[in-house]
Amino acid sequence: MRHLDIAVIGGGLLGSAFAYGLSVDGGCVGLIDEGDHAIRTARGNFGLVWVQGKGLSMPDYARWSLRSAYAWTPFSEQLHAQTGISVEYHRPGGFYVSLDEQEFADNLALLKQLRNEAGEDGYDYEIVERSALREQLPEIGPAVPGATYCPHDGHANPLKLLRALQEGFQLNGGVYTPRAKVTRIAPVTAGGFEIHCDGGHRFGCDKLVIAAGHGSVELGHHLGMEIPIFPVQGQVVVTERAQMTMAYPTNYVRQTDDGNYLLGPSARDVGFNDETETTTLRDITRRCTTAFPHLKHLRVQRTWAALRIMTPDGFPVYLQSEAYPEAFSFSCHSGVTLAAVHATDVSRWVLDGQIPSRYRCFHPERFNVPA
Amino acid sequence: MFRRRDRVSDPVTIWFCDRAIEAVADDSVAAALLAAGISCFGRTPVSAAPRAPFCMIGNCFDCLVEIDGETNLQACLVTVRDGMRIRPHSGSRLGDSEGRT
Amino acid sequence: MPENVVIDVVVVGAGPAGMTAASCLAQSGVRVLVLDEHTAPGGQVYRSVEKVTDKRSADLNVLGSHYRNGSKLVERLHSSGAQYWPGTSVWEISAAGEPTLAVGVVRDGRVRLIQAGHIILATGAMERPTPFPGWTLPGVMTVGAAQTLLKSSGLVPDGRIAVAGSGPLLYLYVSQLIKAGKKPQVILDTRPRASLQAKLSVLAALTVDPASMFRGLGWMREVRREVRVRERVHRLRAGGVEKLSSISYESCDRQFTDDVDLLLVHDGVIPNTWLAMSAGCRHHWHVQQRCWVPTITGAGQTSRQSVSVVGDAAGIMGADASVLHGEAVASEVIACLEGKQQNSAGNAAHPLLVRQQRLLRRCLDQFYPPAQEFELPPDDETIVCRCEEVTAGQIRQVATLGCVGPNQGKAFTRCGMGPCMGRKCGVTVSRLIAEHHGLGMDEVGHYRIRPPVKPITVAQLAELEIDTDAHTA
Repeated sequence: MRHLDIAVIGGGLLGSAFAYGLSVDGGCVGLIDEGDHAIRTARGNFGLVWVQGKGLSMPDYARWSLRSAYAWTPFSEQLHAQTGISVEYHRPGGFYVSLDEQEFADNLALLKQLRNEAGEDGYDYEIVERSALREQLPEIGPAVPGATYCPHDGHANPLKLLRALQEGFQLNGGVYTPRAKVTRIAPVTAGGFEIHCDGGHRFGCDKLVIAAGHGSVELGHHLGMEIPIFPVQGQVVVTERAQMTMAYPTNYVRQTDDGNYLLGPSARDVGFNDETETTTLRDITRRCTTAFPHLKHLRVQRTWAALRIMTPDGFPVYLQSEAYPEAFSFSCHSGVTLAAVHATDVSRWVLDGQIPSRYRCFHPERFNVPA
Repeated sequence: MFRRRDRVSDPVTIWFCDRAIEAVADDSVAAALLAAGISCFGRTPVSAAPRAPFCMIGNCFDCLVEIDGETNLQACLVTVRDGMRIRPHSGSRLGDSEGRT
Repeated sequence: MPENVVIDVVVVGAGPAGMTAASCLAQSGVRVLVLDEHTAPGGQVYRSVEKVTDKRSADLNVLGSHYRNGSKLVERLHSSGAQYWPGTSVWEISAAGEPTLAVGVVRDGRVRLIQAGHIILATGAMERPTPFPGWTLPGVMTVGAAQTLLKSSGLVPDGRIAVAGSGPLLYLYVSQLIKAGKKPQVILDTRPRASLQAKLSVLAALTVDPASMFRGLGWMREVRREVRVRERVHRLRAGGVEKLSSISYESCDRQFTDDVDLLLVHDGVIPNTWLAMSAGCRHHWHVQQRCWVPTITGAGQTSRQSVSVVGDAAGIMGADASVLHGEAVASEVIACLEGKQQNSAGNAAHPLLVRQQRLLRRCLDQFYPPAQEFELPPDDETIVCRCEEVTAGQIRQVATLGCVGPNQGKAFTRCGMGPCMGRKCGVTVSRLIAEHHGLGMDEVGHYRIRPPVKPITVAQLAELEIDTDAHTA
């Protein structure tokens, strides 16, 4: 049985960020991961590092997202310096494009309310009417009435991020164990935990971070933690590469550094079904070509469906086991936006052994769920 | 690379870039271009490397071309028509005469 | 074609298996629609058989007597009452969770979904990927590609030609080429010394199917008489600037370099599983044939209800066995549509013939094993993913990082993200990862294939009309 100072369960966007962050100072850190054919939500991420529109009724979440957006620059630079991998982070600001007047009005109302709630801490945004929008997004479609712009928004390549985190983690001495699905977590009387996996892997650890996406629900039960998350399916359409023309990410469409466009978003309640569905794909392309007609002639390179980790209010669920305070669990759907604070702040919480009280807002007790 | 066994009967004229090519009425575009000695059907997006048909049965996608303004067509699956205008597939669409960087 | 016709069965592919299954079904009164991406029926083995028979009968002598069998199958299809849509690509089969079974097609630039009660995938075979340094150069093609050019357009290679690899198709094609008046400079046989097992299997196959064996051995003998053959070829490399101009290789401990204008490669065929995989049908690794095959119960029933596979797409069996299989799968589907339990006796058509074909196939698999160096390219610089230009070295690197499957490998390297969706790299990537980690191929698995399996544009998808009734209008 292998002994670890800290075990992180789950090799997706959250688990990899924690493993990386902890591997700097955390002694012997192990990342325990399932195999190639597990749910793997991270592979379907759109790649936005997004602030605007977030945190309705929870200004703390807006602040948290903004904090992460600021932390993203040094985070990506550090990853690049250490691994040589650019995660293609760009923060030119982002546009929330509306496809009709109603959507535009709704978005403006939302942002106004967010500003009222946030008060002094509110983030910047600008209303951009059609005529001005054309200067920043020349391909914007004729039906679009306008957009809102937030200078804190950006995007990155989620798959490169995953790889960079993995490489950085291993360069720091972290131990990665794939094909190890955790079947049982047993607290040890003297302290720490034993982790049993299929395939015969066993680990002992002093501290534990459960960041296993949907798998966290069942794993949390081993330690008396209720993690109220459920799947919401999202689909993405990816085009062939094209000449770089879109300088800003938007809520519907972004262009990657390789030139591909990603078209989204969508949300379906279909349980753990990760198959694409034709009318959803069609509707995505209809919305996105209303926003950007020039996409019409591009080939659809592939489509994807992934199962977001959604909480009842859409905000993260961060908790520490009451019975076993050395065990933590973190879940959210914004794995890219929050990757920076996950690798820095949250990893620090784990090392310090305590989630700071000001982040109690993310505890699932807010849903009247016992911890 | 290839030559015809028989004389061209039922000739049609197609265009590859600015070059007129004599083809047979039911040739695939790929066959017609190969018979005319074309060895570069397009370039890859990563390194702008030249590509030509590899499998001829619609599986390699190295024969992608643009025909009469329509892109991403597999030349091995499209039949020639008189007057057809074919352009090489650029690895990076919408653009870029120097190839993708 | 009448409008508003309800379709009971969609058959994808018009090769010998697809044509036979469709004909049997249609002749039994089932409403069948055959979707074929080519412009005329025949698949690959009987490619352009109608045209060649009608307009280029001189080529029939070149192509050989077996090719002519295709005409009968085509005639049967045309007179069976099955609808036939040529020039139609299938880009999607609707997911298992969706209420109706539907096929997404592209036809005349328009995209639509066609509903059906049952789908039969007769997508045939494709050549096994053969990565080696320089294989992406213009001037390097598969033997099958050259044969297609011969069949469909009467083209023969010009200039100095080398042919590399192994397998019956290689020898068939070269014998056809010789009849057409053109000889390659050299054949590079990549097989190792024949094992005792392989030699014994030849004897076994001779006893069960002497006709096929003599035909095949005949091609080999003829070709080896006329063309120089280098044996036990290793370290094949293609070189050139902008296109192929030379090759180098080792044979029997000697190093060779040849100037060539065209290099044709062939290392056997494997099932074309992309559509079946995108439909969620379970596949497993066929150890003997070294390829993915759909997991089948009965004659052709996949793990997905209402989806069958037939012919080479179900496992390499060759043209003659594909016809038999087409009949068996058609019977099975008819029983399925009628809600009957499949009568296993009626299903096991011609058991002696099936056994014969299996023995012949096993012999061919043993006599023509895939080249080790194509399966696991030794040079790290070898491009594995042609579309994204990812090398064997890069795959090995991410395997070392901990990638235990091709999907993680894809996420980390972009390998498999190009237009071919992993058709040319998938098997190699899985093999490299399996070899690195000491895992079996079923443990490593294959790419997750998503629609569109054939190219469609954003506009086509946006304009998609979905038939709400089971019509083809």
